[in-house]
Amino acid sequence: MKNKIIALLGGTLLSASAMAGGFQVNLASQRQIGMGHTGTGIYTGTSSIFFNPGAMSYLRENGVTVGVSGIVSKIAYRAPEPGGAEALTDSPVGTPFQLYAVYGINDKLKAGLGVYTPFGSSVVWGDAWSGRFGLNELSLTAVFIQPTLSYQLTDKLGVGVGFVYSVGGVNLQRSIPVQNQQGEYGKAELDGNASGLGFNAGVFFQPTEKFSVGLSYRSRVDMKVEGGDATFTVAPSISGRFPEGTQFDAELPLPSTLSLGIGYMPTEALTLAVDISRVGWSAYESLRFDYSKTVNGADFTENARNYEDAYIYRVGAEYRVSEGLALRAGAYLDKTPVQDGYLTPETPDADSRGLSVGVGYAVTDNISLDASFLYINKKERTDTGAASGGIAGTYKSVAYIPGLAVNFTF
Amino acid sequence: MKRHLYKPGVLAALFAGVLLAGCDPEIDAPAPTAGETADFSTYIAVGNSLTAGYQDNGLYLDGQLNSYPAILAEQLQLVGGGDFTQPLFTQEQKNGSGYLRLTGFSAQGTPITAPVTDQLAVTRPNGLLTKYTGPIQNLGVPDIRVADITSTSYSSANPYYERITPDTAPNQTYLERVAATDHTFFSMWLGNNDVLLYATSGGAFSGGVLNSDFRTITPTNTFDANYAAMLNTLTADGQEGIVGTIPGVEAVPFFTTVGPVLKQSLDANGIPGFVALTGGGRDRIQVAAGQINAPQNGVLIPLTASAYAPLLAQPTGKYWRDLARQVSPSKDALVVRGTLLSLLAAYQIDTTQMFGLSGGNPWPSALLLDMAEISNIKAATEAFNSIIRAQAENRGLAIFDANQFFTAIQGGFSENGVAYSPAYISGNLFSLDGVHPTPRGYAIIANEMIKAINSKYNAKIPTVDVTQYRAVLFP
Repeated sequence: MKNKIIALLGGTLLSASAMAGGFQVNLASQRQIGMGHTGTGIYTGTSSIFFNPGAMSYLRENGVTVGVSGIVSKIAYRAPEPGGAEALTDSPVGTPFQLYAVYGINDKLKAGLGVYTPFGSSVVWGDAWSGRFGLNELSLTAVFIQPTLSYQLTDKLGVGVGFVYSVGGVNLQRSIPVQNQQGEYGKAELDGNASGLGFNAGVFFQPTEKFSVGLSYRSRVDMKVEGGDATFTVAPSISGRFPEGTQFDAELPLPSTLSLGIGYMPTEALTLAVDISRVGWSAYESLRFDYSKTVNGADFTENARNYEDAYIYRVGAEYRVSEGLALRAGAYLDKTPVQDGYLTPETPDADSRGLSVGVGYAVTDNISLDASFLYINKKERTDTGAASGGIAGTYKSVAYIPGLAVNFTF
Repeated sequence: MKRHLYKPGVLAALFAGVLLAGCDPEIDAPAPTAGETADFSTYIAVGNSLTAGYQDNGLYLDGQLNSYPAILAEQLQLVGGGDFTQPLFTQEQKNGSGYLRLTGFSAQGTPITAPVTDQLAVTRPNGLLTKYTGPIQNLGVPDIRVADITSTSYSSANPYYERITPDTAPNQTYLERVAATDHTFFSMWLGNNDVLLYATSGGAFSGGVLNSDFRTITPTNTFDANYAAMLNTLTADGQEGIVGTIPGVEAVPFFTTVGPVLKQSLDANGIPGFVALTGGGRDRIQVAAGQINAPQNGVLIPLTASAYAPLLAQPTGKYWRDLARQVSPSKDALVVRGTLLSLLAAYQIDTTQMFGLSGGNPWPSALLLDMAEISNIKAATEAFNSIIRAQAENRGLAIFDANQFFTAIQGGFSENGVAYSPAYISGNLFSLDGVHPTPRGYAIIANEMIKAINSKYNAKIPTVDVTQYRAVLFP
């Protein structure tokens, strides 16, 4: 029952445009978004469940954090020269969210639960653009549920580990290039729920008051769709080639992420952070759908992806203006995992540059707010998409992502 | 108080507005330009059925609207081109000459077509089409050959030309018609029918009993002289333009679709080959099953044979009865019977013998391009294309090398997630007649022409999104 509700939420509310490399969504904490999404090498409060479970053991108070971002993203497309065709996505506002709760079992051992959305994609190209036989729209959601334990081995060293259960779904729609008597193209819709398992582990080390370092690893999670529905709408004379009641199986790897972070606090008011992440995108070799019945002469479709492992470089800073007010800023460079020749309209990815600002404000001793604003600008990229069955052309993406979170401590 | 609230409100609204409006990413693209040497303000199109927008074995409004000159003109308008007027059929007569539509598939998957017979523009006696006498810029005339452009009697031979010929000048030649039209830029894709009509009729109407001048390959010197005359007319005031070469006609689905089916049936029944008439006479040749569609020493079976292929090895005279009805001077049953008897005598046919398997009842010449005919076609196509290229280069014109293009795509290609090939129906390029493109095929041709114009005249004319044009419609 619960799974169903979460999956339903995943399908409707939580879709998030893929605005990081590939279809990763790096929006795990409003405070950390403000700091360029650094956080592996510093205390980040309850969101250490995500950034570094090893740092969670340092939390002095129990806490709950609820936050949400709104992704307003647009992707522009232009056909290869001298083509005149243009398109602009009309994707819904993505709303990745975060929910973290940490409870201190004793001084050294903390238990926590995180629910967050590290991967997702929602892109709507519509059914009039020239690439509609590649993709009309895609909605990909993954919600990670992560119960976590963290233990402080010494004053200077903490370790933590979390178990990840991921639920989500995929909905992919594309036009079929066969027209009926009215000239309307056929349509294929693949819709299924997915789930997968993984873990998150981290080590946090603070040798001095001013300096800290962390290492965290989030494992790969294979999201498996079994018995998804493949629905085809085509002209009656060829409907026999697109049988009713076709089901599909698919598997989408959500890649591992290994992060090294360093924190430096030159004064009590200032925190500086640097993170480097290596994302194991090479796990994503192909996108394959296996059908239960023969569809247009084949019982599967497969397109190469051959993503490459990619690095993300982040810097961030927080300055405490007063006891209750903190200002933040950050920037990052997220290298694309997509090789030349493999660009697709699902994730017309390119190296992306992120710039962020944020503010934290303590309303009372127990309640504080974090607000963030992130601007993402991906490099304009021209590709043939020939190796991946993509749509040739030039793509350019930008996103504006405001976010808000409430923290309770007790 | 209100003012204090109001101001931040306006600021917030402004901020949100700027945010959302300024949100859209933009991709810089070079602005369309005509370049410096060509003037696209008044464009005319000279050519045959391909230029007219003929498809599905007919000329009708939908094909006219999607003719490559119409598509090209629309793109030329982005670089200073003006209006482009075509001799369109009216909505009420939108089915024009009538055409074929796909009605379904047989149990074996063979496409079934049926003629469209309503809302026709065939409204005058002798199958003449409703006249269109206004000024036009698309001068495409289905069936016209380079050989016909100086003929003063051409309007009485071709209803498509008669349709657009002024009542005051019934003997106006096509060359004169073109000369009377003002233009600053032109396209000329002419010459296909000088070899295509021979090919589609299986070479059976060239010489012999059923000789037809229209279905004979044009002599090379006639082609050369007439082609030069037309280009001289078109460039008389120094106008620029683009010419098209002739694609290798034997590689279109009209000639490649039925052969494999026939071969399969021969192989399945252990029949090693068949006997056929060749050329316009009564000579018989032996054809091995393995020669069908073979790249070396091959023969080709036209789409018109699809009704007769299943009759192979049966004692039938269906082909000859159909032919007699078609060529008879009168519909009168007795006259048709007389024509049939004279045809059977002329070709020494005994319809009680097994069709295709006996020397007495051979496979008809019109339903076969044999080795000799294919070699005639290739030689003529090559000769005509040399003339076209040489004359265009002499005059500094752009060239759409249709021959090279259609040769290059024989193996198929994929664009925007759609597969294209010269395959019948499934290849998306050719309409139901197997010779003329679909609207999407015409759009692809228009794009190829745009690329040739861009490169010759240093212009930047954008190509069209071909996915906005239809291919074959399925029931």
